[in-house]
Amino acid sequence: MWNTGGGVTDEDRLSRAQARTIIGRVFKMAAPFRKTMYMGFACVVVTTSCALAAPVIVRHGIDAGIRARNTRALDQSVMMYLAVVTLSYIFGRMLFLYVNRTGEMFLRVLRLAVFRQMQRQSMAFFDRNKAGVLVARMTADIESMAELVQFGLLQFLSAGLMLCFSIVVLLLLSWELTLVAMCVMPIIVLASIKFQHDSNKAYLTVRERVGANLSALQEGITTVRVIQAYAQEQETKDKFFKSNRALFESHERSVRISTWYFALVEFSGVFASALMIGIGGWLVHRGAVTLGTVVAFTLLISSLFDPVQQLSQLYNTVQSAGAALSKLFAILDSKPEVDEHPAAIALPESGVLKVDSINFTYATGEHPALNGVSINVAPGEKLALVGPTGAGKSTLAKLMARMYDPVSGTVSYGGVNLTMATMDSLRQRIVVVPQEGFLFNGTIRDNLRIAKITATDAQIDAAVEAISATEHFAQFPDGLDTEVRERGSRLSAGERQLVALARAALVDPAVLVLDEATSNLDPGTEAEVERALERLMNGRTVIVVAHRLSTVQRADHIAVIDAAQVAEYGTHAELIAKNGRYAALASAWQTSQIVN
Amino acid sequence: MSKIETDAEVATRLEFEQTQRSEGWKLLRGMLRDQRRNLLLGALIGISWAGFKTAVPQMTKNAINQGIEKDGPLLKWVLIIAGLGVLTGVLSGMRRYVAFRESRWAETLLRERLFAHLISLNVGYHDKAQTGQLMSRASSDLMQIQGFIVMIPITLSNVIQIIAVTAILFYTDPVLALVALVPLPFVNISARRFSNRIHPASIAVQAEQAQLASVVEESVSGVRVIKGFGAEQVQFDKLRKEADDIFGETMKAAKIRSSFLPAIDVLPALGLVGVLGVGGHRVLTGQITIGDLVAFNVYLTLLIWPLRNIGMIVALGQRAAAALVRIHEVLSTESTITDPANPQQLPSIAEGAATLGAVRFDHVQFGYSADQPVLSNFTIDIAGGESIAIVGATGSGKSTVARLLLRFYDTNSGHVFLDGIDVRKLKLRDLRQQIGVVFEDTVLFNDTVANNISFSKSTASQQDLERAAKLAGAHEFIGELPNGYETVIGERGFSLSGGQRQRIAIARAIIADPRVLVLDDATSAVDPSKEGEIREAMRTVMSGRTTIVIAHRPGTIALADRVVLLDGGTIAAIGTHEHLAATNTRYREVLANMDQPKKVAN
Repeated sequence: MWNTGGGVTDEDRLSRAQARTIIGRVFKMAAPFRKTMYMGFACVVVTTSCALAAPVIVRHGIDAGIRARNTRALDQSVMMYLAVVTLSYIFGRMLFLYVNRTGEMFLRVLRLAVFRQMQRQSMAFFDRNKAGVLVARMTADIESMAELVQFGLLQFLSAGLMLCFSIVVLLLLSWELTLVAMCVMPIIVLASIKFQHDSNKAYLTVRERVGANLSALQEGITTVRVIQAYAQEQETKDKFFKSNRALFESHERSVRISTWYFALVEFSGVFASALMIGIGGWLVHRGAVTLGTVVAFTLLISSLFDPVQQLSQLYNTVQSAGAALSKLFAILDSKPEVDEHPAAIALPESGVLKVDSINFTYATGEHPALNGVSINVAPGEKLALVGPTGAGKSTLAKLMARMYDPVSGTVSYGGVNLTMATMDSLRQRIVVVPQEGFLFNGTIRDNLRIAKITATDAQIDAAVEAISATEHFAQFPDGLDTEVRERGSRLSAGERQLVALARAALVDPAVLVLDEATSNLDPGTEAEVERALERLMNGRTVIVVAHRLSTVQRADHIAVIDAAQVAEYGTHAELIAKNGRYAALASAWQTSQIVN
Repeated sequence: MSKIETDAEVATRLEFEQTQRSEGWKLLRGMLRDQRRNLLLGALIGISWAGFKTAVPQMTKNAINQGIEKDGPLLKWVLIIAGLGVLTGVLSGMRRYVAFRESRWAETLLRERLFAHLISLNVGYHDKAQTGQLMSRASSDLMQIQGFIVMIPITLSNVIQIIAVTAILFYTDPVLALVALVPLPFVNISARRFSNRIHPASIAVQAEQAQLASVVEESVSGVRVIKGFGAEQVQFDKLRKEADDIFGETMKAAKIRSSFLPAIDVLPALGLVGVLGVGGHRVLTGQITIGDLVAFNVYLTLLIWPLRNIGMIVALGQRAAAALVRIHEVLSTESTITDPANPQQLPSIAEGAATLGAVRFDHVQFGYSADQPVLSNFTIDIAGGESIAIVGATGSGKSTVARLLLRFYDTNSGHVFLDGIDVRKLKLRDLRQQIGVVFEDTVLFNDTVANNISFSKSTASQQDLERAAKLAGAHEFIGELPNGYETVIGERGFSLSGGQRQRIAIARAIIADPRVLVLDDATSAVDPSKEGEIREAMRTVMSGRTTIVIAHRPGTIALADRVVLLDGGTIAAIGTHEHLAATNTRYREVLANMDQPKKVAN
């Protein structure tokens, strides 16, 4: 109600230079709808002028009409007053439409631009930034500006104008009384600044405690089975009550801060009009001002004080919007690391996938994830990558599909460096099937079409058939047109995997990069996934990050990746005979094998 | 309504809704009664504020009429006005403080009631309820109610102010009062209609925002798929559609604002125009003084806010009523699992019991819904200290056995006994403290390792903690955590591996030294190479304690003395693993299905 602006933390506050850059960029982005913006501004000017004209007209009515006993002047003022009110109503209606339209258009442009730029980023960007943070940029940060756009901008403009205009009007009416009003102003200004500062701090505490309270609440609800199983209801309640009371205290404190401020604001309003009447009355007696002026001043005094309050309350809203904007612009400014080369060419239909002494680090300063790795995969060959967690096998697989670019060295296909290939041809030749089948909202068919937007229904059916999953998906109520529900909750892990494989089949790539699942699938679909995989791998070059013996044994070659390097390379038999790391891994797997 | 209702059905439904609403208001009345002293104080403050506030224009009038127009005492009136300023200032601050404090307090207490009630409700309720729904009861619904309560004292003083001002205006000049007041009821009506129309519009905007959020969310989480197939455009198109929808909905809301807000502003101004016109002429003809005219002006501006607020509170009240009904619904749901009227005590060693932890299921019938039995005629005797593995295909009812023993659910017929006493005759706390459970999905709290382990026994000493942790095979890795036992773990803390989490859950299960241990396959989420370690920990904690292992992996079965094969809700076979493996085809089938492809150790 009084603290609509989102709280601003100290690190959110922008420097003057930053603020200037941001404002400049905002105006540039708003260029396409500048006309709407100016119209909105014009409406604000008109309505503000009307609001100030009214007391002046009342003054004229009193002085020229009533006190001079001039009926015509009185009627004139009434008509003028009516005209001003009507004008302000008409422009007021337009104002809401223009200002909101401008703001919402800006937010729309911002949403699209930020999302597009986010999508252009390489995988490294998504590794660096947590998913939650990126989602927050597109949602909370942009929405925090919506408030500014819907009410704030409007208030900001009209309050600013109101303040400037009313000072001018007051000075025109009487400089003596303006001086008196200005004596009260500092009280309001200082109080508003202090209040804004204190209430912002209190609000940040409230926000933090609301968050803690909600987490405690959610934890209580989601862990209710554990709580009841251990009969800890009372203890849990006590804990929650503590966080709940802490929240209450923070609310109480923030109310207390606003208490004195609002008391002071109310007092100053009445006090100022007492001053106006006192000093104004004295001036009337001396003939320096008219009674109408005094009346106008008592009416106008609020248009001097209200904007100060409004502006100080808006200050935080503007600040937090500025902070949000600067984060969003940071995304707009980040250059994609993996991008299409201007002179890119299409990859050949087939060829050797050649990894040539590559080095790779996820973040500068970190240990290299790959250190001088070279490997060749002939067309149609199946290569298994094995090794300890974090040794670099998944990284190698990702570089082979240009999810990342190597720091040095090259990955090429059919003699073409992947960094010189068109993105389109790259995604057609080399397809990555990730560990877990990820599903988007929509139908199963929508989920398959992700792989190839132009695919016809017949092509999609064929892809499903190619991995022998037609029957399985036919079991769903609407077959392939079944909605997968929230993040595919309707499908089992195995079925999601089938979707992932069908996607790959739809693209029909020459090279398949597989990251094998570490967790178990439901026994029912396990066999089907195996069969689908088998058919998909048939006749293609395959690189598989392997976790299962059966997979490794099917491979033509095995590369043991350890400590960012290729430790061993050869066939299963060769490596067992060599009695090195692979043999050790194999025997470790033997001992961990299940009883009986 | 898609379905056509008969008159009788409509009547019943309306009556039901009526009862619900009145129950909701009853809940609010009860809350307010507890705080009536402070609320009364708030009302008194509000009323005095309204009185002083209304006096200000009177004094202004006097000052103008006597002090400026004539040569009367000006300073006296000015001082009185300033004094009234002090009073109204202080009182309005206090009114605000009391209103907000009391509404927050009511919200706080109601949230506590809600939470306490929720966590005491039986598991069957929670299995059906959605967390998000319950969360919004305790957050957004409470906010609606708080928003309404805060308006109560404010509204009261507003009403007083409106009445007082209206009375004064009519007393001063009935004709002019009529002219001034005619447009004002429309302020109230417009404010109410605006509030009613803008609310669904802003909900629609929020719904669109949520849809956009879900597109962004899936685009970020599914970025590997999108990049892998170059499907950026697909997601971008989805996002553009959502952004357009948001734009559309917000503009609808803007239209509502534009058709109401300027009108709400202009209506009182029309009154002021009328006052100047009609009032001016009445001053000229000497019916009123110029001071009266000015006072009229000021009074009218005094009425604008109260009228708007009263319009708003009607809408707020409607929303609060709906929230109250929803909260009442939760609070009036009673737990179906409660302590018995005359609880019995479990036998103890001191009383001469030979062994502890004997569990018996006696002809148990159970189903989560009436038409789908999960267990039927389930009978088994587990001796104190014995370990049993329950094996069966998915959906065979394995986990249900543990839920019945814990009394998360009650049987439809048949009995469950712990040490010879029907679990329904025991206090829930007494029963549950004797059963240590490790759930399939290891649930840990956002808290320190120590607090997580001592969860079931808050009095546990550091030695107890370490003993439990050692038994569970967790002591070693806990020592390597940044702050040892004081390391905060969970979603917002240090993240542990699946195996580590499970070992902490095992330590938690055994710290209170329960008679029965239930392990709902504690190894299923564990990295294969760590399985061995967990199994070792399980073997240690099981020795000498009644244990029910719900097995999802063959390796776990080997830990138990006997194996129970569940099939179609009944016991298909009981015996040692070797015996069953040799004699029972169904057992071998179930086992074969479990036997996941072997893995290469990492």
